[in-house]
Amino acid sequence: MTAQPVAPTSGWNGFRAVNGDDAAGRAAAADLTNILDTVEVPVVVLRRDFTIAGFNKATADVFRLSSSDLGRAPRGISRFAGLPRLEEQCSEVIASGVEARVDFREGDSWFVLRISPYANGERQISGTVLTFTNVTAFRASIDQVIYERECTKAILNAVPDPLVVLSADQRIQSGNRAFYSMFFELASLRTRLKGMLAGGHAFQPVEVDQDFPGEGRRRLILHAHPLALPGHPERRVLLTFEDVTAGKQAEAANDLRAIAERKDGLRRSEAFLAEAQRLSLTGSFSWRVSSDEITWSEQLYRIFEFDPGMPVTLELIGTRVHPEDRPLLHDMIERARDTGTDFEHEHRLQMPDQSIKHLHMVAHGIRDEDGRLEYIGAVQDVTARRLSEQALGKAQSELAHVARVSALSTLTASIAHEVNQPLSGIITNASTCLRMLAADPPDLDGARETARRAIRDGNRASEVIARVRTLFTKKELATESVDLNGATREVTALLLSELQRNDVSLQLELAHDLPTVTGDRIQLQQVILNLVRNASDAMAAVDDRPRQLLIRTEDEDGDRVRVSVRDAGVGVDPQSMTKLLDAFYTTKSDGMGIGLSVSRSIIERHHGRLWAEPNDGPGATFLFSIPVTQRA
Amino acid sequence: MSPKSSLVSVVDDDESMREALPDLLRQFGFAAEAFASAEAFLASEFVSKTSCLLLDVAMPGMSGPDLQQELTRRRQKIPIVFITAYGDASVLRRLLARGAVRCLVKPFSEAALLDAVSAVLK
Repeated sequence: MTAQPVAPTSGWNGFRAVNGDDAAGRAAAADLTNILDTVEVPVVVLRRDFTIAGFNKATADVFRLSSSDLGRAPRGISRFAGLPRLEEQCSEVIASGVEARVDFREGDSWFVLRISPYANGERQISGTVLTFTNVTAFRASIDQVIYERECTKAILNAVPDPLVVLSADQRIQSGNRAFYSMFFELASLRTRLKGMLAGGHAFQPVEVDQDFPGEGRRRLILHAHPLALPGHPERRVLLTFEDVTAGKQAEAANDLRAIAERKDGLRRSEAFLAEAQRLSLTGSFSWRVSSDEITWSEQLYRIFEFDPGMPVTLELIGTRVHPEDRPLLHDMIERARDTGTDFEHEHRLQMPDQSIKHLHMVAHGIRDEDGRLEYIGAVQDVTARRLSEQALGKAQSELAHVARVSALSTLTASIAHEVNQPLSGIITNASTCLRMLAADPPDLDGARETARRAIRDGNRASEVIARVRTLFTKKELATESVDLNGATREVTALLLSELQRNDVSLQLELAHDLPTVTGDRIQLQQVILNLVRNASDAMAAVDDRPRQLLIRTEDEDGDRVRVSVRDAGVGVDPQSMTKLLDAFYTTKSDGMGIGLSVSRSIIERHHGRLWAEPNDGPGATFLFSIPVTQRA
Repeated sequence: MSPKSSLVSVVDDDESMREALPDLLRQFGFAAEAFASAEAFLASEFVSKTSCLLLDVAMPGMSGPDLQQELTRRRQKIPIVFITAYGDASVLRRLLARGAVRCLVKPFSEAALLDAVSAVLK
């Protein structure tokens, strides 16, 4: 077979149908030539001895081969210098019959060389076919991608904050060096991450405290940013970690300093307070109403003579409260529980050695943000003051008694004087009248004159009485809505120390939801005051039984309010009962009984009535009842 | 001396006494004059003519006891029956100790009045 040199530009340089003049063969060869020359991929056929048997147009263009290169081995062609092992590789392909791929670089171009076995018609491998696929552009873009990726990687790794990309199901896709060096255990945050990522596109940052081996506890804020890549539907998330430990530490350090300062300040205040409480014999307390939880200051334990730190209950307090004062105190506490209003109260303690202490308590009600009621207050031991007050009070009441008596006797004297003048005139004139009528002849003119004078004097006398009445009662009656329970409590508060001085034990039975009455609050309180004072006086001589005074308010069938004052005194005998309420009648040797009479007229002006009843036991009860406020 | 000519002078700041008493005294047969104040009596012509003085205790200005002292100072020994609306026992005792013959407490009956005046004029 001879190779006919062909002009290089005319296409396929290669095998021609040199075995015989075969027209069909020539046509087939022509077709093949056309096809091969159309293909842009350089194709070279090598014989078993590695010489070039043929090559296509693309080869000629790319590798600048010409027909003169036919029969030469690529080894000798500089263009194929980049394939130093070509003959070896071709031998392997011929031997194994298996295609091989080799990367081949020629100048600035990159190729993937495919070496395929060439089998002739007799199925004998007579050579190899070399196909060069130009992957330069491909490689360039790959390079670019790799470059960019490496660039990004470098940037990310340079970032000190950890970054990690998670898939939608929280699996790590990639992370930077800082992330991996953080040894962060994402698994522990799985649930929080799930929650964080479950939402739509807005992720809330999550604050996390994490212990890092060798570094201790750090505080981090996790931020999640959705990553959307065009052409990639799956959702990815970029997690960033903001280390706020330093900031938190500084904050904490500041907080600690501030706390230490405040603690110092508090310790100083506490010391001052404890000292002040000790000096003034005042203890403080708090009372959580719903749970009856009570806290006491040290001084309060000292006042009550309990061991400091003992748990305090209402029952425990009750064991020290003077039995006579327990009902009133109980009443105050229950009212405080219901109303939450501030209150002030005085009561006595009876210590184990039977000694008595007088306490003055003030309490202020506050509500916490859940609306629960708590009282904070102070209790002062006023025993010393009370005792000296009692001594003073005794002296004072004696003095007052004397003053009252002398004032009354002066009053009595002046009233008597006022009344006795006209009375004397009446008697004298009447006597004269009788004598004149008995004269012979009767002096009728004289008699008439004396009679006239008698009438005039009689009128003068009743004017005096009327003037006396107005001395003790106000002309105007104020009209307001009066709650008799509140009015009674005010009066008892006023009289409490006086009653205690007289060893009177006071009990209040005040009806719940007592309707209001219309009238003059001050005048009604004067009536109550008068009745209570009278009751106390009635028991002044009682020594063989407790001096019990009971004030009760009641709703009388819904249209009247009744107030009763019951004493355990000497009582009133039935005959005196009706007279008692008449003006100027009194069993007291020094008084005029004006109090009761005036009280009655006040009640009558309130369209009510005042009366007295003997008790089942000792003593008497004085009562008044007034109509309830009429609704218009 | 007959009782008819005895002059009883009434010194009282109360009008009804000044009206009623002289009439009753005249019914008894006495002569009677009435004065609204101790000063008025002293200024009158009847001081030396008075056989018996019915004298109120409490009066504005010169009181009954003051008048008594004044009369003693003037050596006018006129027997005095004090008439008073005050029933205070200690006052009466003091008055009697000072030399009053009788004390009458208003309101007094005509019998008590007659008794007192008669005792004085005896």
